[in-house]
Amino acid sequence: MRLGGRAAAVAAGPTAVGLMGARLPDVDGRTQAFQQWRGKVLVVNFWATWCVPCREEIPAFIKVQNRWGGQGLQIVGVAIDENDKVRPYAAQLKINYPILVGGLDGIDLARQAGNRLGGLPFTVIFDRRGNPVHSQLGGAMTQEKLEQFIRPLL
Amino acid sequence: MALLVCSAPVEAQLLPLARVLELSAGGAGAVGAAGEARGCRDVAGCDSRREQGARLILAAAESAPGESAGDAGGALSKLRSLTRGNEIEDQFLPLDKAFKVEVKVKDAQTLVAEFTPADTYYLYRDRIRFAVPKESDISIARVSIPPGEMKSDPNFGDTEVFHKPFQAVITLDRAQSRDALRLLVEARYQGCSEKGLCYPPAKRSFDLTLAAWQPPAALASDLSSPKANASAPTIATSRSEVAGTTAGSGSDALPGDKASAQNETSKVAGLLKSGSFWVVVVSFFGAGLLLSFTPCVLPMVPILSGIIVGQGHRVTKRQAFTLSLAYVVGMAITYTLAGIGAGLSGTLLSNALQNPWVLGVFAALFVVLSLSMFGFYELQLPSAFQSKLSDTSNKVKGGTFWGVFIMGVLSALIVGPCVAAPLAGALLYINQTRNAVLGGTALFALALGMGIPLLAVGLSAGTLLPKAGAWMQTIKNLFGVMLLGLAIWIISPVIPSSVHMLLWATLLIVSAIYLHAIDPLPHNASGFHKLWKGVGVIALLLGVALLAGALSGGRDILQPLAGLRGAGAAPVDLSGQPKFERVHSLAELDQRVAQARGRAVMLDFYADWCVSCKEMERFTFADPQVQARMSRMLLLQADVTANAEQDRELLQRFGLFGPPGILFFGPDGQEVERVRVIGFQPAEKFVGALDAVLGSS
Repeated sequence: MRLGGRAAAVAAGPTAVGLMGARLPDVDGRTQAFQQWRGKVLVVNFWATWCVPCREEIPAFIKVQNRWGGQGLQIVGVAIDENDKVRPYAAQLKINYPILVGGLDGIDLARQAGNRLGGLPFTVIFDRRGNPVHSQLGGAMTQEKLEQFIRPLL
Repeated sequence: MALLVCSAPVEAQLLPLARVLELSAGGAGAVGAAGEARGCRDVAGCDSRREQGARLILAAAESAPGESAGDAGGALSKLRSLTRGNEIEDQFLPLDKAFKVEVKVKDAQTLVAEFTPADTYYLYRDRIRFAVPKESDISIARVSIPPGEMKSDPNFGDTEVFHKPFQAVITLDRAQSRDALRLLVEARYQGCSEKGLCYPPAKRSFDLTLAAWQPPAALASDLSSPKANASAPTIATSRSEVAGTTAGSGSDALPGDKASAQNETSKVAGLLKSGSFWVVVVSFFGAGLLLSFTPCVLPMVPILSGIIVGQGHRVTKRQAFTLSLAYVVGMAITYTLAGIGAGLSGTLLSNALQNPWVLGVFAALFVVLSLSMFGFYELQLPSAFQSKLSDTSNKVKGGTFWGVFIMGVLSALIVGPCVAAPLAGALLYINQTRNAVLGGTALFALALGMGIPLLAVGLSAGTLLPKAGAWMQTIKNLFGVMLLGLAIWIISPVIPSSVHMLLWATLLIVSAIYLHAIDPLPHNASGFHKLWKGVGVIALLLGVALLAGALSGGRDILQPLAGLRGAGAAPVDLSGQPKFERVHSLAELDQRVAQARGRAVMLDFYADWCVSCKEMERFTFADPQVQARMSRMLLLQADVTANAEQDRELLQRFGLFGPPGILFFGPDGQEVERVRVIGFQPAEKFVGALDAVLGSS
């Protein structure tokens, strides 16, 4: 199940266990549980400010959130980074979806979600019941590709 | 650990894996680091069993739908049958294969970390960190990482990265612990693949054995002695014995020969690092005193004298001294501020001073000053301003005082690039340690030392002045000529060499005429009169030679008539001179050094305005002994006259602030850092440096 030359898809990992049960602080330090987004089509994107391919994807996520947010889509970013870098970056790009700050622990969540390399960027898509349906490691997530996955779920 | 993970029961595998790999953000301690590093490696070490691991994960994935978040164990234990593969992990290398890291002991206080990114993988320069356990007596004094390539990103600006192998040099502070010992060093790094994947921050620990360390100060006495090279092996042997008995290792930890060829800049930086505050300050004062006898500082003498002489009859000895002091303090403060500023920002102090406009303004200033010396006008501040100030000040006229102070400030800027070596050492130190207080104090002491002869001049000028009448005018004229010469010298970097020669020719010939070089001597001429005529004739001949040289295409001010030599003579002369290949960029340099495998490489930083570079060329490289050794090396030269972006990159790679600078690379393509020649070296000394390079290769 390859998707283009630069990145390939992996079958989604046991994400319901690790991710949907997890809680992480947001950029304001308030703890957020992933459970709050159950019932929506959830796209979790692991990224970091220092990761160039991650930064390249973010505009696509912003557009998709803009377009499909009203129909039950929720994108959530998990930054494997320090908050004092994440916060200004999110503000600069006007990221329109919640960013949780995973720090290095966030990598564990990604690993539990099937990302054995612990690499970034890593994106997992959940259906409305909280089941993982797709994940992608490596960059090149485009708006089209993302929409291709989420449309059937919405 | 790898075995444990790989052979663990299926049900237990996922969570322990995560636990083993736990990247505790706060876990900066060495122990945690070691665990983590091994975790990373061991996962990769499980490669042969990867399929099994992948199955587990994928199996769990299929089990997940419908399961509640809590019962992971049940979900995992259910599943063993698997279909889908894991192409992703075939496409990307595991962390330890993507980036190979090795930290080795170079000598008792230096470690070298070798990073080797796989093809199409890169590391971030600013994400590289080293740490030693906090509880150990050793700390990291500084880490020197070569500049990387710039990777540009439209959203985030430029990032400095490495695609190619590189070395970071870690200098340890061993002041607290000189005995041989074991040290756990942790390397942290981060990188990505060009195919669009970034790896999480990685840490690896290295268990190293360090030899006993002796402060370089103890070896410093060897430095000036020509026998230093001969005695080095003895030191080295005894050192390795110490290492051998106490630590059972450390054969490569031999700083013995390091001292023998240690260069001036690193000596200065080392002094700053090791010495106590006052030792450092006094040493710099002494260095300044020595520097004041170099040609670069001498031009300040006429400036100062010109100002004092310009005050005419009013100047007493005391006033002259006060004026000189104002000048010297102005100079010292400028050095200090410019030094700290340049050091903190890491920019080249002389960069700004190579701007044609800045140089032009200074040159014009000196021409204006010289006109005053020739009696075209009286050098004074506007009288209203002056009288106002003199009302409030006591003996020294306030206006003059500040004028002299400002002149000191300006002249410090001009000669700054000349005293590159000690200045660069101090700047390097400030830049690396950010200890601006010590660095700044040292520079201030350096400038004060440089000012001592100026103070003496000030005193003597004050003493001589009241007596002389017509003779005074001669001195003033002489200073005027020197100021004009200084003006030419200042703009010489930014004018074509033919113009440079023509300017000198004009100055010399016109001066000669003023000295009555072609007027017949009267019968009753005094000895003094004859002397001046002789000087005038010499100036005239020199001027004519320069003029003829410039007009006949000569471009070398030290050999103005070289172009007029017979065609047969020139090639013979040239064949004796070592031939340098020009390198223009970092990439070119790396390529040439790589191609030179098996041969040592000498890299000479050169600029048209660099006086000591020309001296090296003329006096040192011409020596047959030197040439014999240089012929065994690949000779590269980087002409940084233009001070373009690429030039600055080259300089920065080696932590240089500007030419002169001669570096060497061993046959392995690594810089022989202990041998660096900064500034002019006579042939005998330079031979020693070359031998050190050739000997080690």
